Amino acid sequence: MSLLKEPDYGTPPKPGPAVVDVEIDGLPVTVAEGTSVMRAAALAGVDIPKLCATDRLDAFGSCRLCVVEIDGRRGTPASCTTPVAPGMSVRTQTPKVAKLRQGVMELYISDHPLDCLTCSANGDCELQDMAGAVGLRQVRYGYQGQNHLDATADRSNPYFDFEPSKCIACSRCVRACGEIQGTFALTIEGRGFDSKVSAGAGESFMDSECVSCGACVQACPTATLQEKTVLQLGMPTRSVVTTCAYCGVGCSFKAELRGTELVRMVPHKDGGANEGHSCVKGRFAFGYATHPDRRLKPMVRERITDEWREVSWEEAIGTVARRMREIQAAHGPDAIGAISSSRCTNEEVFVVQKMVRAAFGNNNVDTCARVCHSPTGYGLKQTFGESAGTQDFRSVAAADVIVVIGANPTDGHPVFASRMKKRLREGARLIVIDPRRIDLVRSPHIEAAHHLQLRPGTNVAVVNALAHVAVTEGLVDKGFVADRCEGFAEWAAFIARPEHSPEAVEGITGVPADELRAAARLYAGAPNGAIYYGLGVTEHSQGSTMVMGMANLAMACGNLGRDGVGVNPLRGQNNVQGSCDMGSFPHELPGYRHVSDDAVRTVFEKLWDRPILADPGLRIPNMFDAAVAGSFRGLFVHGEDIAQSDPNLQHVTAALTAMDLVVVQDLFLNETAKFAHVFLPGASFLEKDGTFTNAERRINRVRAVMKPKSGKHEWQIVCEIATAMGYPMSYTHPSEIMDEIASVTPTFTGVSFELLDKLGSVQWPCNPQAPEGTPVMHVDEFTRGKGKFVVTAYVPTDERSTRKFPLILTTGRILSQYNVGAQTRRTENVAWHREDILELHPHDAEVRGITDGDTVRLASRVGQTTLRAHISDRMPTGVVYTTFHHPVTGANVVTTENSDWATNCPEYKVTAVQVGLAI
Amino acid sequence: MSHVISEQRMANQIAANQRHLPEADAVAAVAGHIDRFWNSFLRSRLYALVDAGAAGLDPVVVKAVERIRT
Amino acid sequence: MTTVYVPRDSAARSVGSDEVAAALAQDPALRVVRNGSRGMFWLEPLVEVETPAGRIGYGPVAPSDVDGLRPLLATGDVTHPLYVGRVEELPWLAGQQRVTFARMGVTDPLSTQDYVAHGGLVGLRAALRRTQAEVVAEVTASGLRGRGGAGFPAGVKWKTVLDCPEGLKFVCCNADEGDSGTFADRMVLEGDPFMLIEGMTIAAWAVGAREGYVYIRSEYPDAVQTMRAAIDLARAEGWLGERVLGSAFAFDLHVRVGAGAYICGEETSMLESLEGKRGTVRAKPPIPAIEGLFGRPTVVNNVLTLATVPVILADGAEHYAALGMDRSRGTQVFQLGGNVKRGGIVETAFGMTLRELVESYGGGTLTGRPVRAVQAGGPLGAYLPESRFDLPLEYEAFAAAGAMLGHGGVVVFDDTVDMAAMARFAMEFCAEESCGKCTPCRVGAVRGVEVIDRIVAGERPDENLALLEDLCELMTDGSLCAMGGLTPMPVRSAVAFFPDDFLSRKP
Repeated sequence: MSLLKEPDYGTPPKPGPAVVDVEIDGLPVTVAEGTSVMRAAALAGVDIPKLCATDRLDAFGSCRLCVVEIDGRRGTPASCTTPVAPGMSVRTQTPKVAKLRQGVMELYISDHPLDCLTCSANGDCELQDMAGAVGLRQVRYGYQGQNHLDATADRSNPYFDFEPSKCIACSRCVRACGEIQGTFALTIEGRGFDSKVSAGAGESFMDSECVSCGACVQACPTATLQEKTVLQLGMPTRSVVTTCAYCGVGCSFKAELRGTELVRMVPHKDGGANEGHSCVKGRFAFGYATHPDRRLKPMVRERITDEWREVSWEEAIGTVARRMREIQAAHGPDAIGAISSSRCTNEEVFVVQKMVRAAFGNNNVDTCARVCHSPTGYGLKQTFGESAGTQDFRSVAAADVIVVIGANPTDGHPVFASRMKKRLREGARLIVIDPRRIDLVRSPHIEAAHHLQLRPGTNVAVVNALAHVAVTEGLVDKGFVADRCEGFAEWAAFIARPEHSPEAVEGITGVPADELRAAARLYAGAPNGAIYYGLGVTEHSQGSTMVMGMANLAMACGNLGRDGVGVNPLRGQNNVQGSCDMGSFPHELPGYRHVSDDAVRTVFEKLWDRPILADPGLRIPNMFDAAVAGSFRGLFVHGEDIAQSDPNLQHVTAALTAMDLVVVQDLFLNETAKFAHVFLPGASFLEKDGTFTNAERRINRVRAVMKPKSGKHEWQIVCEIATAMGYPMSYTHPSEIMDEIASVTPTFTGVSFELLDKLGSVQWPCNPQAPEGTPVMHVDEFTRGKGKFVVTAYVPTDERSTRKFPLILTTGRILSQYNVGAQTRRTENVAWHREDILELHPHDAEVRGITDGDTVRLASRVGQTTLRAHISDRMPTGVVYTTFHHPVTGANVVTTENSDWATNCPEYKVTAVQVGLAI
Repeated sequence: MSHVISEQRMANQIAANQRHLPEADAVAAVAGHIDRFWNSFLRSRLYALVDAGAAGLDPVVVKAVERIRT
Repeated sequence: MTTVYVPRDSAARSVGSDEVAAALAQDPALRVVRNGSRGMFWLEPLVEVETPAGRIGYGPVAPSDVDGLRPLLATGDVTHPLYVGRVEELPWLAGQQRVTFARMGVTDPLSTQDYVAHGGLVGLRAALRRTQAEVVAEVTASGLRGRGGAGFPAGVKWKTVLDCPEGLKFVCCNADEGDSGTFADRMVLEGDPFMLIEGMTIAAWAVGAREGYVYIRSEYPDAVQTMRAAIDLARAEGWLGERVLGSAFAFDLHVRVGAGAYICGEETSMLESLEGKRGTVRAKPPIPAIEGLFGRPTVVNNVLTLATVPVILADGAEHYAALGMDRSRGTQVFQLGGNVKRGGIVETAFGMTLRELVESYGGGTLTGRPVRAVQAGGPLGAYLPESRFDLPLEYEAFAAAGAMLGHGGVVVFDDTVDMAAMARFAMEFCAEESCGKCTPCRVGAVRGVEVIDRIVAGERPDENLALLEDLCELMTDGSLCAMGGLTPMPVRSAVAFFPDDFLSRKP
């Protein structure tokens, strides 16, 4: 349920043009073929009473409130399940249907608590509304009959209660769990009057397969499934539409408040990315924003061994400016830099890189995208000409074959995973390329056609072999390649070499050749083949090569430039795409334009009235190297916990310790803050005003639900630092920053807050050629003109298992937690994941004498840590896996300095390790 | 580990990823990449390595450095 | 060597036919064939002996009778007290028009030779010689209507499936025979399974399906076993499989067993169950012919419907359509049960009166008391008083009388029956068997029981009778499927025809 009422048309829209003319209570309306009578009525402005119907779910036809009479037809059909027919004349209010509706409502109320006035859903209850709508005046059956009023409540979930005595058995929760979320954790147990909603096989919600996405809570028309916050705080009174700040899916939410207190987050039906769905993090895990750990005052200290001292904003900003300038005076202009954050808004990121380029006077700005998707930017730019995914999320609904490479969408990108799973349930085939048997490989109503369980680090060998099959078996889309691409002949000659055959690489990749061939044929032969990938592609020594390898494969098979195809990164953070777009790489100005391009620099120099260096700045790992070397001494870290998230932490901490000034701007005193001299309190997403750009290039508005608790917007703080350093920067509103971005970035020229408020969101490029944005890229030609085939030679990583470190560690994410856990660890989500766990294969466990739950020591050549073991056949032998959500585990203590050859994106996904029982 | 080794490792890795090319092309590719993406601090460190005898450096890297400097 | 027949039908087994057969088999001079049942249940176990003069019957034979009977069998002794005469000439049987049940009780159900020798496969061969459209037209012309209860023209349904674009299609046989007092489906499954296989194969050919399912209720273990064995045999004979009867047509068949839910006899629930889901009703449209099993075009027909198809193809539509009256063409396999002297299968052309069935065939009640009511068409059918016994057994006439033929079950009650209790039972049955999806059925049936209890208890009877009528109207017009929709039929008929039972007992 949701307070801010969006129109509910009862049944989902049908595709196609409006061609069927019908009359509802005498009102003419023209709708698409297959549209339900109920929806047609709603479109005509006629509300038909309903309880089991909602336009997010397929028509079900169970409540029988929506019966109507249709001229020329017998009986009283349910309007939700009856499609329109040309010339149909429907009567929604007749004595006959009125009597039936009252009869149905009389039955409902004969088995429902009569506690409306004290019920948590009072005022937001469809049963209550419908009792009024049908004019119920009496319940002749009385209230003494058989009933469910004594049914026991289930309060096991930390975020919502299940009160079955209020259940009307409409199945909306069950259907939402299946149709929308795709988990199928809920069912109806028993039959007839004994029918009851049940999580799993009569388990509690917490013990069941429920992933706590909350779709059931949202779907419930009564108080049966209700947010605990609504029970505690009461009904919200107002609502603000904003964007989630967790993963790169970028879900739209209505933040519903009571006064100034946030009561609940309800996914927004009009949200382009999520279309009304959410996951446990976005919907429920917002408690960190008001967690007592949050620091709201600026703090300063001389040395990192000193105690923190709370100071005024003026003093904090003045200290940063003074000390930065002092470092530059002593060690040169290049001795300072900044790291921008993919968690922050486009506007905030833009001002950070502007501060670096204009106020610092160098290009030493990098972003946390360095450690996740920098190879995406490089690889897609080289091949297609644009550093971004090619499709919108909606496109997956047109895919016939879906390839998921190095991504675990059900945990990492759950809302997109639900959209993907829906398509898979409709019959699309699935190929999973991953060392680990992720949930998608086999989950309710879904089974991968092929799971290529490759050895970590052999991605390029696999993608080359896939392409080899396409090329040598005549599966190339010759027309597409000839018209749209260049470099094919050279690439094809390379890829057709026998050493790239599935048989030849089987020994390297561990993927059976016949399985790989079958997968290649499936993808290449599909009318629409779509590739989705994650950090399992990028975080490798050949991350960039792999991105180009996938681009080659997609081009060779003609899988670009329309719905249902493409090469699509699943971005890890809410604004990875945006932070990259905003010029936070050291070699690129906003819009991915190289700093060495004189014409581009001139534009910015004119606008900013400062010279811009043509020399690329330092990348994050270079900054650490330079810091250890003593030439880089001042760092502004914006909302990123590099002392937890970056690889080879001993090196990171050595670098941070070596610096004269580390400034951390964050919500919490994070691990990095331990090395900081100045702490600037940040604003949570609920306090931000600006935009995020999600993985589908969709620019979403982030609207302030409350004022910044620290008293300042983050963009303001950055501007004040720049100003204090002698470069005045000021804006009265973040929309002015977006206007500046639009004025200098060709792909953003049409973007403004006004446009976003009008359209809801827009996918860049958005300019005079595409005034309402670009859902699918490279439609008629590639951004760079011709798509470019790049030869992708497989070069094995230097990181390989040895006698001393015989296992390969790979890392990933779990649904309930998010990255370093700074937020999710400060919410009830810990109920699902209290600690990081090391997964290993039963065989690897047995030979080491490890049993499930043992505490084990995990060591690589650079460091070691301890954590608990979970024995799981999801892992192949020789490969172990852990998450990195908890600082106490310090998974990155063991990850190494190895990185992608082109972008220095760390090789998180391959570390040679040994595991043994901790003594 | 020292930062000097970082530049050596990074440059050698770039060269390794161009090894499928004829040497002249590989040299051009490595030079182009370093020129386009490396900061002057890194480049100067790499030059210093070359000047110190190029121990442990891929010959393609050495040639690429020569090319960038000229 | 003398051949004797002892039915393997589970109705016969329930009264000892296995023991009888075992005892007979001890005589090396006797060849014991386990045939299907003729459907004369008061004579079961009915032992038949093959004689030059035809098959002579003895029944009901108890195991203890076998020793005395065995020496007489070779001669077909007429003096034995259990002697019933030449079975096919018994008036009860001879007066019927056994079309669908022509082989029933005659053959060994699992003998492919018997099947072919008694007209099996003629229909399938005829079908394979014709185009799909011609086969559909033939079935349409025969006037065959769905025997599961709804009476929907089979040919029209098939045409809908045929007209769907080519691709994966299914033929599903509904053998979830849950109506009280019905057993014809079971007898086909146990007594002539190849007929059903042949009928389904013809249906598959006609609509372009390659795969079929027989959904059998778990309460029919013998039927499940026999059907599975028959499918294996049919595959071995090449009647099923990649090349049906050597043609290019491929069809295979599988048995699926229900889990005890009456509602799975409703076609959409059955499809849900076949898909491995809970048996709950789907809203229609879409109709199963267009979006059926796994969302694909599907023929769903009752056992009797599909079992009748071979004879239509073999003898021609006209031959079949010549039987019956008005829009009810061909024969119906009536199942006579309850408090009746001679229960069993009566297959006749549509049009015989209810009285003839109950009185002539049934011979009145077993208790000898007057017949007070019959319930026709299963537990959701109307209760009819003696005054309505002249109704012709025909779809439209029954519908006009507020009753239904349903699956052809007719259950007889004598004058001791309490019709208020029967009305209550109807609601109780609905409450027990409702899938729980729609509100009128899920909640309404429970309230129906409560309201009837209050009426019977004399609590504001007029108000509660009015409420009961409103509830019946709501269930009839508002329910999602026939379960809730038809439950009021027995209730309303009981109230209408036997009002005293509801009101007279309380002060």
